[in-house]
Amino acid sequence: MTDLLQRGVRKLQTFEPFREVNNTFPKTAEILAWKQQGKPVFGWLCTYIPEEIIHAAGALPVRITGYSQEMELEDGNAYLYIDNCSFSRSCLQLGLRGGYDYLDGFIAGSTCDGARRLFDLWCTYVKVPFSHILTVPRKMTERAHELYYHQIQEFKERFEKFLGFQIKDEALRHSIEVVNRSRELLKSLYEWRKLDNPPIFGAEVLEVLNASFRMPKERFNECLSNLLQELSTADVRHTGRSRLMIVGSVMNNHEFIRAIEEQGGLVVADELCTSTRYWSDPVVLGDDEDPVKALARRYLNNFPCARMYPSDERFNRIIALARDFRVEGVISEIIRYCVPYAHDLPLLTSRLKEEEIPTLALDVEYGTSGSGQIQTRVQAFLEMLEAKRK
Amino acid sequence: MTVNEIKGNKLAAVMKSARLLVRMNRAHADGRKSDTLYYQMLANYCERILKAKEEGRFFAAHSVFFPNEILYAMDIPSMHTEMTAWMTALFTGETADMLAAGAELGLASEICSAHRGLTGAYALGVLPRPDAILWSNLVCDNTAKCGELLMKINHCPGFFLERPFRNSDGEIQYLVAELKDMIGFLEEKSGHKMDWDKLSATVANMERQLEIYRDISELRKATPSPYHIQGFFQLLNTYYLFPGQPEAIEYLEAVRQELAEAVQAGKGAVPNERFRLMTLFIPPMYRMGFLEKLSQEFGAVSVTEPFFMHWGNGHLNPDRPLESIARHSYMIPEACSMYGPLTEESIKTITDSARDYKVHGAIYYANNGCRHTCATVKVFRDALSEIDVPMLTVDMDVVDPTFNSEDEMREKLQQFFELLEQR
Ligand code: SF4
Ligand code: SF4
Repeated sequence: MTDLLQRGVRKLQTFEPFREVNNTFPKTAEILAWKQQGKPVFGWLCTYIPEEIIHAAGALPVRITGYSQEMELEDGNAYLYIDNCSFSRSCLQLGLRGGYDYLDGFIAGSTCDGARRLFDLWCTYVKVPFSHILTVPRKMTERAHELYYHQIQEFKERFEKFLGFQIKDEALRHSIEVVNRSRELLKSLYEWRKLDNPPIFGAEVLEVLNASFRMPKERFNECLSNLLQELSTADVRHTGRSRLMIVGSVMNNHEFIRAIEEQGGLVVADELCTSTRYWSDPVVLGDDEDPVKALARRYLNNFPCARMYPSDERFNRIIALARDFRVEGVISEIIRYCVPYAHDLPLLTSRLKEEEIPTLALDVEYGTSGSGQIQTRVQAFLEMLEAKRK
Repeated sequence: MTVNEIKGNKLAAVMKSARLLVRMNRAHADGRKSDTLYYQMLANYCERILKAKEEGRFFAAHSVFFPNEILYAMDIPSMHTEMTAWMTALFTGETADMLAAGAELGLASEICSAHRGLTGAYALGVLPRPDAILWSNLVCDNTAKCGELLMKINHCPGFFLERPFRNSDGEIQYLVAELKDMIGFLEEKSGHKMDWDKLSATVANMERQLEIYRDISELRKATPSPYHIQGFFQLLNTYYLFPGQPEAIEYLEAVRQELAEAVQAGKGAVPNERFRLMTLFIPPMYRMGFLEKLSQEFGAVSVTEPFFMHWGNGHLNPDRPLESIARHSYMIPEACSMYGPLTEESIKTITDSARDYKVHGAIYYANNGCRHTCATVKVFRDALSEIDVPMLTVDMDVVDPTFNSEDEMREKLQQFFELLEQR
């Protein structure tokens, strides 16, 4: 196991494209080439924004993320203040320093204070030709679906006006198929993690997911198909001391998971908006159905974020995941000033306790690589899980 | 969740203190009528909750900016979670225990102290246990997320009222439908029926209240400006606790009358007005006496608090009470400036206020953990700087006195006044 974990060493040949994209983001060769062809790129923030609409316009949807490592956030702090979540501060700083200067637009939702204010300050200080924020309901009722349908419809109309052409239903149907294909492939990738000895590490899965936000969907599907093909023939199998699941705030730095896996934790499942919550539910579209309606339903009903009400919907799905992936312990990571996840923690911990699944709660900064004190706490957690098993 | 109930209900102490203040005020030759009326309202508020508890009658707790006019119209005693918790802390000194109890429940420091502490207060039994928890997503994630844990601690049902983010007709209709559902929930749980005539009358009174707030704001434009800093809290609390209530109107009319007389007499809140200030967000409530003293010493008077007092031009229609309540939620100054969306209009509100009130400087009380508000510190500083109004940012915690000391605050404010003096 250890030799596989050595930084930079990969046995899976098909992994390289993902790594390449992540190592060069936000200025990846593919995004720059896309722009050079005169095609637009739109940033989206938060998993409640339907990428399909951007894709159907022939534009490249790119997920807004911050720096991939923990760092000083002087600009982020100065603009968003120190008490906004470190994710939004990191994103804003990257934006202020020109990381996303290729964007033709920025689309966000009213998902949480951090995201809303990131959108506000982006529009005020980074500035983009097109910007839009959708009201995202917190409930999943029929009424909320209706509201969200109108929100997406309104966004689409404004977007079309900006682009100067209409997005045809056929184009939207095609985009739904393409993005659904990504979801299907990601589901297959996760199936591998259910094995006693999975052929892929949790850290690697996060790398794949990060790449999925940052490259054309068609190309991503092709790369992931290749990886899945290779996984089915590779003789790599990983072992670990305990099967773990990561839950909580947004995460992009796979080094955090790697640090846990280096200590022998086998991260087999995750409930993050950059992981399972991103891909878990497909868009179900009937033959005669309005594709925008189908999108509204999928995006609101998808595996809920901590912002949604009631929280039990999220907790139930976490527990189902834990059972499905035979998880022995849960690591909750909450990034600094991420209120929605921090608020859920007492209730989630008590639900997991009822299931006899211990939780380790870590307060981290966005981008953390999980070193130092975190390692000590993970080590103690793993020992506790081992003792529990005996 | 391990906090055991270790305290008795402290609301009676708040009621007694408020009554004492009424008596003291009446006995004082210079006592203001408005102060007497204000403390009388507070005492009655606490008494109503305590009585309901004692008699086993249904009462509900609700979060900040929750439309509790609905509860008044249904004759359901209401308890404002934030204000009741923090008034109790102020009057009885339970702050540290409340915050510690919140932390013990597993609420991390990510969560603003106002919410950590109020949740702790319920866990400790400092506040009486309500029969229902009502909350909405106004004005932040903390309020949006507080309800479920409070339900669990209080072993009671609850209703989450979703207030959509942007202000469109579809969103107003969504909120109206939510309000209807909530009324249904309350009717079922409490056995009380909605009195629609009373609701219309309450909305009519809210409209009157808004007019008086606007008049009061207008009077504060005078030089010297007649209103003292503590008054701001009273106005705020009156709006939070008594929307559309006759006693609130009586109180507000008294304030208006007193201010009109002061303006007429050319009498300011401080003897020698030197600095006219704009206050952004809420000053630390446990330091009001200290701030009042500073204000007198330096001749510095807060003339406007646009996050809370800028009521715009909207009107309410008593014939369409639910729609009016929904529209009102988009008129709330905090909902526009602190919550968002941040628009050119909301920035202009601040700069226009600075001009209209002829302010020399602004003080932004940056409340630790109030994320969406603090995110506007730079935006408003930049906007004010464009019209040559300097802004001081004071880092503080609105309820936790251990965050910074009086000395630190004094030094910062003094330096700011010196800077203003030199200009
Ligand atoms: S969910 Fe948390 S981490 Fe994500 S944007 Fe919101 S506050 Fe920040
Ligand atoms: S202090 Fe700020 S974060 Fe806390 S409840 Fe009030 S508005 Fe919300």
